[in-house]
Amino acid sequence: PCELAVLSHDFHCVCNYFFLYDGSKVRGEADPTRDGICYFYPEETPLDKQELLCGQLAGVGRCVSELSSSPARTFRLRRNKFAIRMKDDFFWALGCSVDVPTVSVSEFLDQLIDLFCFYNGPVRQSYQLNSQETLAAQWARYLSHLQSGSSELSHIFSCLKTIDSTNVDPLLLLKAALILQACQRCPLVLAGCILFRGRVVSTQMSPGLTMKVMIHESETYTKAQRPNGTSASSSFSGTVSSTTVFLTAPELQDLQSAPVDKGFRCCPTTPQRDGPSKKTRLSRTLSDTPSPESQVSNPSLSKPPQKASLSPRLSDSDVFSPASSHSAANSLNPSPQSLRFLSNGENTVEDEAEESRSRDSTGGRSQIRSEGDGSVFEEDSHLNGGEVEGAFGGVFEFQAVESGNEQPHDDKVVEEDSRVSRGSVSGHKAGKSDPPALLPPPHRLSDASEENALIPMTLYMHRVKGLVLALLVEPHFMSDAASMEEVYHSSLASLNGLEAHLRTISPGAPGGPGPYTFAHFDCIQSTLTTNLSGRSGGAWDQPFVRATSLLHSHFCNTETLQEAIIRSACTAVYGTRSVAQETYFQQNGGSLRNSGIPNHQDSAFSLPSKARHRLLKHGVNLL
Amino acid sequence: MKCLLIASESAEMLFYWTDLEFQQNIQKQYGFPAFEDSISTLFAPIIISFSTMVTEADSYTSFTTENNHIYVLHQFDECLYIAVNGDGEEKEEDLRRKIYVMNKMIEVLFGMVTLSGNLLRKELRARDTEQRLRLWKHLQSLLETYSHLRENDQSFLVEAVERLIHPTLCEQCIEFLERRLVQQINSSVERGGEEVLHAFILVHTKLLAFYSSRNASILSTSDLLALIIMAQNMYPSNVDVDDPSPEVQSGDMFILSFCALLCRACSLSFVSLFFTSPEKPVRGSTPVFEFVDPDIQMAEDSLSTLEVYPPDPATPHKVFLEVSQKDGLYPMMPHSMYCLKLWPGITLVLLTKFPHSGVAMSVYTFWEAFAKLEKRLNEGQGGSTRGQPMHEVRSKLDKFLKTLSSQLQNVWTEFKNRAFSRGGPGFSRDLILWCKNMKTQLCGIYRQCFLSDSGPDDTPRHLSPGLRERAQTMVQEQLMDWKDFLLVKSKRNITMVSYPLSDFPGLVHFICVDRSSGQMIAPSLSITERTTSELGKGPVAQYIKNKMWSLVSTTRHYLQKGYSTLTLRDGDFYFCYFLWFENETGFKLEAKDIPIMPDDSAPIGMLAQNYYRKLLRYYSKNHPGETVKCYELLTVHLGVIPTEIILQHCRQLASKLWEPSRNPLL
Repeated sequence: PCELAVLSHDFHCVCNYFFLYDGSKVRGEADPTRDGICYFYPEETPLDKQELLCGQLAGVGRCVSELSSSPARTFRLRRNKFAIRMKDDFFWALGCSVDVPTVSVSEFLDQLIDLFCFYNGPVRQSYQLNSQETLAAQWARYLSHLQSGSSELSHIFSCLKTIDSTNVDPLLLLKAALILQACQRCPLVLAGCILFRGRVVSTQMSPGLTMKVMIHESETYTKAQRPNGTSASSSFSGTVSSTTVFLTAPELQDLQSAPVDKGFRCCPTTPQRDGPSKKTRLSRTLSDTPSPESQVSNPSLSKPPQKASLSPRLSDSDVFSPASSHSAANSLNPSPQSLRFLSNGENTVEDEAEESRSRDSTGGRSQIRSEGDGSVFEEDSHLNGGEVEGAFGGVFEFQAVESGNEQPHDDKVVEEDSRVSRGSVSGHKAGKSDPPALLPPPHRLSDASEENALIPMTLYMHRVKGLVLALLVEPHFMSDAASMEEVYHSSLASLNGLEAHLRTISPGAPGGPGPYTFAHFDCIQSTLTTNLSGRSGGAWDQPFVRATSLLHSHFCNTETLQEAIIRSACTAVYGTRSVAQETYFQQNGGSLRNSGIPNHQDSAFSLPSKARHRLLKHGVNLL
Repeated sequence: MKCLLIASESAEMLFYWTDLEFQQNIQKQYGFPAFEDSISTLFAPIIISFSTMVTEADSYTSFTTENNHIYVLHQFDECLYIAVNGDGEEKEEDLRRKIYVMNKMIEVLFGMVTLSGNLLRKELRARDTEQRLRLWKHLQSLLETYSHLRENDQSFLVEAVERLIHPTLCEQCIEFLERRLVQQINSSVERGGEEVLHAFILVHTKLLAFYSSRNASILSTSDLLALIIMAQNMYPSNVDVDDPSPEVQSGDMFILSFCALLCRACSLSFVSLFFTSPEKPVRGSTPVFEFVDPDIQMAEDSLSTLEVYPPDPATPHKVFLEVSQKDGLYPMMPHSMYCLKLWPGITLVLLTKFPHSGVAMSVYTFWEAFAKLEKRLNEGQGGSTRGQPMHEVRSKLDKFLKTLSSQLQNVWTEFKNRAFSRGGPGFSRDLILWCKNMKTQLCGIYRQCFLSDSGPDDTPRHLSPGLRERAQTMVQEQLMDWKDFLLVKSKRNITMVSYPLSDFPGLVHFICVDRSSGQMIAPSLSITERTTSELGKGPVAQYIKNKMWSLVSTTRHYLQKGYSTLTLRDGDFYFCYFLWFENETGFKLEAKDIPIMPDDSAPIGMLAQNYYRKLLRYYSKNHPGETVKCYELLTVHLGVIPTEIILQHCRQLASKLWEPSRNPLL
């Protein structure tokens, strides 16, 4: 009979092991296990230890997945907790300390694999095209990015790092959102985000996508290491760069659909592994209110092009190779991408034209609505309501000040018109003949193909010192000098201004333990607000972090759970959640002496009301 | 989709149990003619990988898959247990608990033999197929009985004994057991050298009366719960008969075939008594549990099935229980267990001591000494062990061996030559192997004395059948008038009606547990169609029941992480959990930090690996000389009730329940 063991807690080291193992390379008895190891972290691990872990875990993974007719998901050992992914012959394992919640480890691994696919395309294909060393550097880079400098809490929630909005003038956030909207006026720009020193200022993309884009800003990453697909544009004095990225079909649909249609589009989809894509895209900035572009590409209109373009994309050989993705920009040889672009562009062009017209006339806003042709537009305007108009107002004023130059628009309109006439007759026709809206969402591909379908896009980056404007653009944007110039010049001045303002803001000094500690997680935007000092290790933080991690897991696993108070002898933590948020609150200091017996005068039970009052000033409303 | 198996390090199947779905699934994948071959082939890579990882100082504790299958692995000595669930009915924690309970049952059945992997392997996988099948069936049925109780019985949910609340009757029974029954048996010449230590009466799973003789040690809650499982396995109660779960049916098949046997062999009265419950034949008509294992099939075909079952339910079972004496704790000391059925649902259990049980204590003491020495040598403290303890053991063991002649003597001589002779290597690492040898030999002696059918001497060591029958009749006469009342009472032990609505508005359910005595009180949660509880019938009651079950598992999870108070707002309900300590006078002691344990530590409970005993010991360190008591309270309220009121209710319940004078129930 031994005493109860007391476990020490150490969240600091997030990832103990990570490896990718290719089972297809180790088929025969004689094949050494090392042949299958594509990447192993930590890289200095002795090879026999690597072989042992890969061999054993992959072997057991195969055995378990056979027994259960389903891929293995997690392996727990006494000292490590592994998230597992098995796909085709690949076997991924990410090992963390056993104290990290299982949900968080799994999310971490998903993010890692998604990041890799985002920048490199399908895994099998990238290993065919690139050397193992090159890709090892990629894995290492993503791994270090995901682990870098964030607090324990941010690992628990896998949240986006945002600038501390309490320290920033809201007008600056508005300005950032307007810059993004202005960029989106170029039809080749899908969506964008603005980052400052590794933190999000404003984003139009889903949290998952924003997270992927952010790695480009990572300081640990130097340009010399970039293997492929990246090019610095000479004409913009080295501040602009671009790289090929790969979006999943749902991600792309997300970007192309107006937020208003989101609920309608998301519901009937088959459950996806991809966490962030489940979440609805919302933004606290104005940037998400429907812009003319996104309205146009609503489901009923964008459906036919999708139908046309996605089927050929399924064959890896001709579409997925970087070569073909580059050639996509070539409009003389319409590959699926350009086909789709053209049909999208066509709609956009009409809209652009409308807009220029409306801008010419003085009473612009209302005219946009009235001039919208066809029933689809009218429906949209009903749905969008009045807020949209306000947003438009913002856009116009902003543009009048910042860009002022409308010439590029007109130029492009002409250019695109000519392309449209060449390219997308069928798409256009289908678009007109389709009954509007209220149909099942745009043809979903079957499960398997949907997962495999990765659509090449381009990530455009414009850096102004610590500030980065990142835009997801159609692949041929980079070859379209006019569009590039337009986006570059329309945003340059305002980016400079924004950077100058953000630079002067001093980060709030992290104080010692205040009278209370809280963490507020916005599940929709994936953002975390907390008064915990970012640096881990504060002894007073540990109990709070531990309780939060437990409660977060509990909330994740129990849908009906709304609030909880948990208390040990020294701490009491209150957690509450709604569909959109999770909030955790702990009262510091003061004596918590109690006997543990139920007592309504116990301070632990007053936590909910205290949290309600105290957190109001942090913008957290629990009422 | 459920499975539990035990394998040796060399991937030899020592025991398995599967439900029908799992079995069909395996058969579909690997169509070996013998099911056992399929299952061992499929699991072999996992078992071998487990051993490989152990040598790397880490080992698997669980796997999950994308379709939410769960695998839990745990090694006890040299036996690897694997439990699988693929139907979402059990969580990881439940599977781990099942593994620990299975291990506990094996300890109760095999005693110190479990301390030697080699010997246990021989026991579990007997060469004789028939013997093996008999044992496996018995273990399978115990496991099913346990699973059924855990899923349906609140006392097995929280792992504490539930007493029937009827102080007068209880007192009368205890007096009867003491003055008449136990005294009469222990003074009879027909007792065959055995001595009744404990006697208790069960009504279904609830305890009516418990008596321990003066020179008996306390029966631990863990052992008592294990014995209740065994008694239930022998005489499954029909409380939940209109809610048949496939789990119990195999147990029933066991009973039915057993009944068929009895029809031929025994008095008709017993059989008619057995069939008084109308549900039995109905259930027999739909046998669900069918083994396709050709071995078993063959056995069944050759009618040897009839011998697979013990010939007489009154035959005592050897059980190995913990004995605490002044000089220490002796786990797994041999006892005989007599389970005498008074009426369906009411059972008298007698626990007797063997005439030679002193031998068991000596063997255990020696075993412990060698185990300690081995541990010290492993830790590299060889030099310092040349001290007193082993010399003391030496003289005692020399004396002990004079009465026994066996292989042990040779090993001991060899050990002495190495350890004590001048020229020998002394207490060095080389001795570790000899420590292991000695331990195995000691377990062998133990097995020979207490487990094999022929004991050290051939005198019958059981209470004679006549004596047993008399005991049965005596208690039957005593309880005749109470019988029906008891059966009803056991279903409605206390009800929420006893808690006036004006006192506790909004209180839906509660469980209160005294962890020091291992007892619990809770309103009955009857969810069957026929019996209507205050919670109503069917879905609502079932919902509350499910919530209660998941609440208990949640509280355990938080307790494992050091949180002793918990309140949850979940759906339309508000749940509270409190754990606290008191001294003997009822003074509430200040809360102290509770140890934080890893996820894969032993399950929190009292049946296997008594967590609360350890917790009490841990807490008592700061209260020397004081008797510390530990209590738990779980409540379910309607969510609309203000939290303050809920907490007041909890406080009232906590203070009232254990004070008989103020207990509204008594």
